[in-house]
Amino acid sequence: MTEPPPPPKRPAPVEAQPPVRPEPEPTVPAEPAEGPTTTKRTNSGAGRALIAVYGVFALAATSRAAVQIATRFSEAPLAYLLSAFAALVYIVATFTLGRGTPRARRIALVAVIIELIGVLTVGTLSVVDPVAFPRATVWSIYGIGYGFVPVVLPILGLIWLYRTRPQH
Amino acid sequence: MITVLAYVVIALALVSLGWGIVTAVANKPPGKAQLIYAAGVEAAVLVQSVIAAIRIIGGFRPAELATTIGYLIGIVVLIPLAWFWANVERTRFSGVVLAVAAAAVAAMTLRLLVLWTPA
Repeated sequence: MTEPPPPPKRPAPVEAQPPVRPEPEPTVPAEPAEGPTTTKRTNSGAGRALIAVYGVFALAATSRAAVQIATRFSEAPLAYLLSAFAALVYIVATFTLGRGTPRARRIALVAVIIELIGVLTVGTLSVVDPVAFPRATVWSIYGIGYGFVPVVLPILGLIWLYRTRPQH
Repeated sequence: MITVLAYVVIALALVSLGWGIVTAVANKPPGKAQLIYAAGVEAAVLVQSVIAAIRIIGGFRPAELATTIGYLIGIVVLIPLAWFWANVERTRFSGVVLAVAAAAVAAMTLRLLVLWTPA
């Protein structure tokens, strides 16, 4: 199963030799010790776990909003429209983080910032003025119905977008 | 829905959750046994949703019918999507992906137990 790593290939002494590329040597200056972060994409490594969580919330928020709007929209139109908006934000964040192209990550950044503002605003309003938000949304009381993941997720999203930022 | 089956699904999902965390901490991608186990959890989830669908067709009416149906459908897609997503790039985080899906399955099954009360 786990093979021992091959012994590091020593470059032969200085000779005329075709350029064999065993390991990319860290010759690029002014790079953090982590390695080539320039190639880091939002949809790689830990990002895949983050996107999985986003996907779960996209699914949860979409189903919730669909059921609310289809069955009892007139009861609390504002709350249910907010539910639909939250669902849209999660869907956009999931797919843009999942694509990981430069353009997609710009859209993802906007989506995650909106998500953070949304969860903080709706969370605070639902605590301060519960009458205005009589029906639950994903973001009510900072996402208490979902183990407060909705308030942690955009923060993780921003950290991830920062850590995978393009290097110039 | 059968209450006992729901608890079995929750237990199976929690094992999948723990397993995913263990391989992630060990810095390994999920092994074959782990992937097959996840498929087994999915099978139990499918059986549960099919039984529930049959009982709804047979006339059982949970208090929140639309929500219940949404959960019964939604819970079925989680593990297959996670499986695919975990296998595209196999790292320690593949295990976290499987764990996330398992956690969602456990949480949704708990919610279904509450939802599954007659109107």
